Amino acid sequence: MLRYAASRLFRAILTIWIAVTVTFFLLRLLPADPTLLVVEGDMTPEMQDALRSQYGLDQPILQQYVLYLGQLVQGNLGVSFRQLVPVSELLLNRLPWTLLLAGSAFVLTLLIGIPLGVKAAVGRGGTVDRGVQFFGITSNALFIPSVAILLLVVFGSNLGWFPIGQAIDPDTRGLAAYASLLHHLALPLFSLVLVQLGPYALTLRTNMVEVLGEDYITSARSRGLTHRRVVWRHALRNAVLPALMLMGLQLGTLIGGAVLTETVFAYPGVGRLIFESVQQLDFPVLQGAFVILAVTVVLANLLTDLLSMVLNPRIRT
Amino acid sequence: MKGTIGRIRKAGAALAVATMIAVTGCSLNESGDSTSGSGSTDGSGEQAGGATLRIGTTTDMENFNPLQSLSKTDSWILNATYPTLLRIDENAQKVPELAEEYTTEADGSVVVFHLRDDFEWSDGTPVTAKDVAFTAQAIMDYQLGNVAAKLTWVTGIEVRDDQTVAFTLSEPYAPFAEGLGFWMRIVPEHIFSQAGDLSQFANDTDWVGAGAYILDSATKGQRYTLKANENYPYAPEGGAAVETVEYVVYPDINTMILALRNGDIDLMGSPVPVSAVASLEGEENIEVETVGSLGFAHLTYNMQNPVLADQAVRQALSMVVDSKSIIETILQGDGQEMVGPISPVFADYDNTDLEAYPFDPEGARALLEGAGYTDANGDGILDDLAFEMVCDQSNANLTRVAEVVRDDAAEAGIQIDLACIERNTFLSRTRGGEYDIDLSQWGVFDNPMDQLRSTYLSSNPGGINYNLVADPELDALVNDAAVTADVDQFVEKIKGIDAYVHDQALLTPLYVENFRFAYRGDRFTGFDPSPSDLLGMVTGYSLSQVTTVD
Repeated sequence: MLRYAASRLFRAILTIWIAVTVTFFLLRLLPADPTLLVVEGDMTPEMQDALRSQYGLDQPILQQYVLYLGQLVQGNLGVSFRQLVPVSELLLNRLPWTLLLAGSAFVLTLLIGIPLGVKAAVGRGGTVDRGVQFFGITSNALFIPSVAILLLVVFGSNLGWFPIGQAIDPDTRGLAAYASLLHHLALPLFSLVLVQLGPYALTLRTNMVEVLGEDYITSARSRGLTHRRVVWRHALRNAVLPALMLMGLQLGTLIGGAVLTETVFAYPGVGRLIFESVQQLDFPVLQGAFVILAVTVVLANLLTDLLSMVLNPRIRT
Repeated sequence: MKGTIGRIRKAGAALAVATMIAVTGCSLNESGDSTSGSGSTDGSGEQAGGATLRIGTTTDMENFNPLQSLSKTDSWILNATYPTLLRIDENAQKVPELAEEYTTEADGSVVVFHLRDDFEWSDGTPVTAKDVAFTAQAIMDYQLGNVAAKLTWVTGIEVRDDQTVAFTLSEPYAPFAEGLGFWMRIVPEHIFSQAGDLSQFANDTDWVGAGAYILDSATKGQRYTLKANENYPYAPEGGAAVETVEYVVYPDINTMILALRNGDIDLMGSPVPVSAVASLEGEENIEVETVGSLGFAHLTYNMQNPVLADQAVRQALSMVVDSKSIIETILQGDGQEMVGPISPVFADYDNTDLEAYPFDPEGARALLEGAGYTDANGDGILDDLAFEMVCDQSNANLTRVAEVVRDDAAEAGIQIDLACIERNTFLSRTRGGEYDIDLSQWGVFDNPMDQLRSTYLSSNPGGINYNLVADPELDALVNDAAVTADVDQFVEKIKGIDAYVHDQALLTPLYVENFRFAYRGDRFTGFDPSPSDLLGMVTGYSLSQVTTVD
């Protein structure tokens, strides 16, 4: 068991290193030059050279890479090209918002997705099942920005129930601030859950259907266990494993979705910081953001791995 | 034991609580994620009776250092905070701001700015000629931003008294005062001289300004608040009606439009896309104002391409561009035609006697055949006449123009392959000269002389000679005009270059686009906009003139 955990940990570190390396070289392979964006128009070649050396882009690429890794190991994410402040400061400013948005979307998807998938599987062919199948396929095809704008038009502009974009009213204090936070969170959260939930419930349903046909379920039923106990205790335990793995993997998509959601809803998270930094070719910020995201996804997967170890006795031994 | 679901539920609840705690830190809206200015009452949100005007912008603020080059949002906020010597009025003319006037001495090689004596920094220190000299010297020392290029000629700066500062130039340069006066944001010497390396100075807290509105607090990614400067000399009697200006970030323009409709913001700082103008104009509470441009859209031909180096080919290309119908259809009428490289915005350099190339694809083909181009393989395309045209994908108007021009060019036997690419790649390619035809839009030229120098001198001082033209005759014309101190002669020389470039067809101007800005007419009125989307409705001066509607 310890060996299993250790090998997972090693794999996690390896994955992060690969993500960091790929990001680093990918950015530098872009056919665009960050210094060009600093001064549009009147820029002398001397000024451009000065900026290049200020950014450290004048050094050989391998040297830049070694330097960067060295900094990273010490926990230094560098300084933003454009904003002249440490990247860690920028990220810390934005990270809580993304954690709130993506984290609550993650939790809500699980909380709604699991019962929904189970109900669909148990009542196979019924209304819930058909609903889940239909919804699973359509929501997979939804494009977040379109959904987001639709939600804003209907619930924000026409009905006036929710604010148009932003994360909080900065003038509120105390309890009112929490209310404002939730009020602003509702629509972006809803659109993220909407696109995540369908595929998730559908996958759980498929697993569940399979498990419900297994011999041990039949035997459990024949031992006279209640239907409820068979479904929720025996079947779900096995069906939830792949679904949990899926959720870990989906975290990547969730974060990708957060970039779009945060942009449309003017939500001040890391996703929007990425969107802005791509336009500005702010390499240090992009690198820093991807490191954080890679670490988050890897950690989540590590967590699901360990969780499945707890849930699955076959791994435990 | 409650089983798996129970465990998952618990874990979920724990995660939710953890994220809430992570977000809130200690308590919402009272933590250290916003920085405040010195005079701040720390965001009580209450004003002493003055109105709050909220402006939407698509990008977050990046850089708070006014000496450096800035994004649009940065410029809007810092232009209001730090004064310039001159400003541009609604007719694209330079008018006094901090400087009452400027004079020249020694045949134009000494330029003297005479400052008003009633500008004051927000900490109470008067704004003097020393601040101007310090700012210019700092920009030269650290080679900061695009203003460094405006100071190329400066060999000496002399502070004659508190209100007088003189720049000595290596040679007379006619538009020096206008260029510097408009672009250089003056910073307080007593603050910036303490800041160390000014190329690394973030200036992201405790702002001391002297413009119409001074940045007061910043919550990154969300909101930037400016407070009216009570001492701003150009504010109306009794002070500006708008006491607080808030910039709110909406990265998506459609969301911003909804926010305006909903009354969450009062003004869109970014222009309304052509496609949304009609629907906003139909709204009862919303006014749409038209503002001119200081730039223009154009096709520019790479003279390093041996075929494009042929004047007949460039003239023929100019004849396949139907700018009238492009303005009618793509801009929905919201633009002006252009003939030569000088925009009609600069009325002093009137070039209405220049004759535009007619839209005539057949005539273009005849011109090319007359110049010896043939169609040997009979495919309808003249041999050698295949060009790649690059454009910036993010400019919706230009990508449509590209298709129209390609189709019309084919009629004249010219093959154009489109490469409308991602913006950063586009900039990099145009900078590197990797294109045959560059389809793009100039942002802001504040005067024609600077434009002609930057775009046509073979020495390419600003790096934007996208023709990559090296024409000794053109060089001589430009250099001669630059040192002409007599105003009438200067205008004639500029008009001469305009005509020369037009005849050479170094570029085919497409249009001067009008910008449309939307605001809540039911709440505010009286903006005094200046041309371009860099200035538009949101200059400090314009905002200080706004009045509320009851």
